[in-house]
Amino acid sequence: MATIEISRLVKRYGNTAVVHGIDLAIQDGEFVVLVGPSGCGKSTTLRMIAGLEEISEGQIRIDGRVVNDLQPRDRNIAMVFQNYAIYPHVTVADNIAFGLYRSKLSKSEKRARVEQVAETLGLSQLLERRPSALSGGQRQRVAIGRAMVRDPSAFLFDEPLSNLDAQLRTQMRIEIKRLHHRLGATSVFVTHDQVEAMTMADRIVVMREGRILQVGSPLELYEKPVDVFTARFIGSPTMNLLPASLRDGRAQLSVGGSIQAPSSLATTSDILVGARPQDLSPVDAGSSGLTVSGTVAVLETLGSETLVHIEADGQTIIGSAPGRQIPKIGEPLTLHAPAERLYYFDKATEKALAIQ
Amino acid sequence: MSIAVHWETAPSGLWSRMSLGQKQLIWAWGFLAVPLLFYVVIRFWPTFQAFYLSVTDWTITRPASFVGFENYTRLYADPLFWQVFRNTFLYLILGTPISLLISFVVAYYLDRVRFMHSFIRALYFLPFLTTAAAMAWVWRWFYQPVPIGVINDILSSFGIPQQPFLRSTSQALPAVLAPAIWAGLGFQIIIFLAGLRAIPTTYYEAARIDGLSEGAILRRITLPLVKPTLVFLVVFSSIGFLRIFDQVYNINTNDPGGPLNSTKPLVLMIYQTAFSSYEMGYAAAQTVVLFLILLAISLLQLRIMRDR
Repeated sequence: MATIEISRLVKRYGNTAVVHGIDLAIQDGEFVVLVGPSGCGKSTTLRMIAGLEEISEGQIRIDGRVVNDLQPRDRNIAMVFQNYAIYPHVTVADNIAFGLYRSKLSKSEKRARVEQVAETLGLSQLLERRPSALSGGQRQRVAIGRAMVRDPSAFLFDEPLSNLDAQLRTQMRIEIKRLHHRLGATSVFVTHDQVEAMTMADRIVVMREGRILQVGSPLELYEKPVDVFTARFIGSPTMNLLPASLRDGRAQLSVGGSIQAPSSLATTSDILVGARPQDLSPVDAGSSGLTVSGTVAVLETLGSETLVHIEADGQTIIGSAPGRQIPKIGEPLTLHAPAERLYYFDKATEKALAIQ
Repeated sequence: MSIAVHWETAPSGLWSRMSLGQKQLIWAWGFLAVPLLFYVVIRFWPTFQAFYLSVTDWTITRPASFVGFENYTRLYADPLFWQVFRNTFLYLILGTPISLLISFVVAYYLDRVRFMHSFIRALYFLPFLTTAAAMAWVWRWFYQPVPIGVINDILSSFGIPQQPFLRSTSQALPAVLAPAIWAGLGFQIIIFLAGLRAIPTTYYEAARIDGLSEGAILRRITLPLVKPTLVFLVVFSSIGFLRIFDQVYNINTNDPGGPLNSTKPLVLMIYQTAFSSYEMGYAAAQTVVLFLILLAISLLQLRIMRDR
């Protein structure tokens, strides 16, 4: 169990900087997810914590100890890789035992530890098998077992679920989450999947182009995104953004209509009004909210609800209709969102303007 | 469109009544037939012919007549054969491990080098492209006494006495073997590099996190995972050393296989029996023995090194 503190962390390859001086403090026992599009520096950051990449500038402290110049083995961390990194030429038991390579335990004690971990992960029946005889989910569990067996001070996960199919991914997500609750170990999890980030994290770190955009709990990020990128990245389908101009305290939407803008917005004239598809529905929300009309272009039936894509003034807006009230394609439709569920961004800087 | 119509209006005929699988089979065998025929005529038929010749006394001037196992008993009693047999095995048991060890070490470190990687690799591969005759001549010069021979030059500058190399019955075989090993290194290095590259880097990263030392990583991860490559190279290079010929023939053209047969391998003996003495039947018997040795050793190696 340990804290991880990152300060002014920089990674450069030659003259190209890929991580631009980030700061992050991870509490003991916290489950932190680094999320962002590929190339945002999330994996590089994780690999620097692990000691697999050299740190160009700044500092990483694990449990208060500066680890910049420590070998990976001396940092007492464990890592789970995207391709599992379990060895095809040895059995499951031997693979898990690799995690105890440096431990001073006797052979029988090691064996007992391996069996105990296998028990926890439901691998007891598979200990003598080769990895080639395992399914993807079982291989992933072996990789987690090798990480667990040592009692590391922190777990690092580098997109561990990306190679699994959708159903297994959901299942492993829950298993990892449950393990974290049981072990309470500090965990850093890297993913590009916002659903994984939302469902697993205590705190999410949104990264883009080597910088941290926002750090917060899943709900904070969902409710109070600091900029357009985070707003669109978190939540599925992505948030609708409607250009508007402020005039006399009202925001005139380019798709037609206007809304009463919050009074704090007076500083700028060109803004973006954001509305999540879940908040945009055909149900009339009264006069104060957002109202957009258009023709239905695409329908995505999900059962519990139906996502409705409408075309309005050349822009596609996604809303949602209750599962059994499915509109028809080509019909005109008006969508409403309540005023308190709207987001406002500066069009030029893409920063959030008034956070409710 | 017109083509489709054409096909639809021509349902008769054997071809159109065949299933897709049958058609694929016919195409496959159609393409295979040419190389297969070539192989049967050029390789297999002469091979079987050699088996037959080995039990005759054919000498070009005389028609072949059946002599039973006479050629084999003669071979068994021939002291030259046992000398040659010993030489051939020396080439094998020195050549294979030494060449594989060197090429693995080179490949292992070359794999980590980024600086001029391709250039260095090409440099190692170059001897593989060079003709054995040219190479043998160059090495022959290397082995000359001072002042022509480079090696003796270097030895004498350190005050070490002159070595006879190719003129000595004890030094000639290793001296012939050295360029043979050197010539094959490039190929083996390339194959080893491919084997090493196929190991995912995360295996090494996971090992570093688990705290394995460099030696332990080599022993417990790298070596087991390049084993298929190693098996291939052991068999491949063993066959190569058992069939060594051009290196030996060219490095000592005045007396191939000399001095006093000390470097003569089996293939050279076959060559001389067939094309100097024209004892075709006897030479055929020797090729059969070589074939059996190659077969036995390849099978043995595959069996020993196969994954249990």
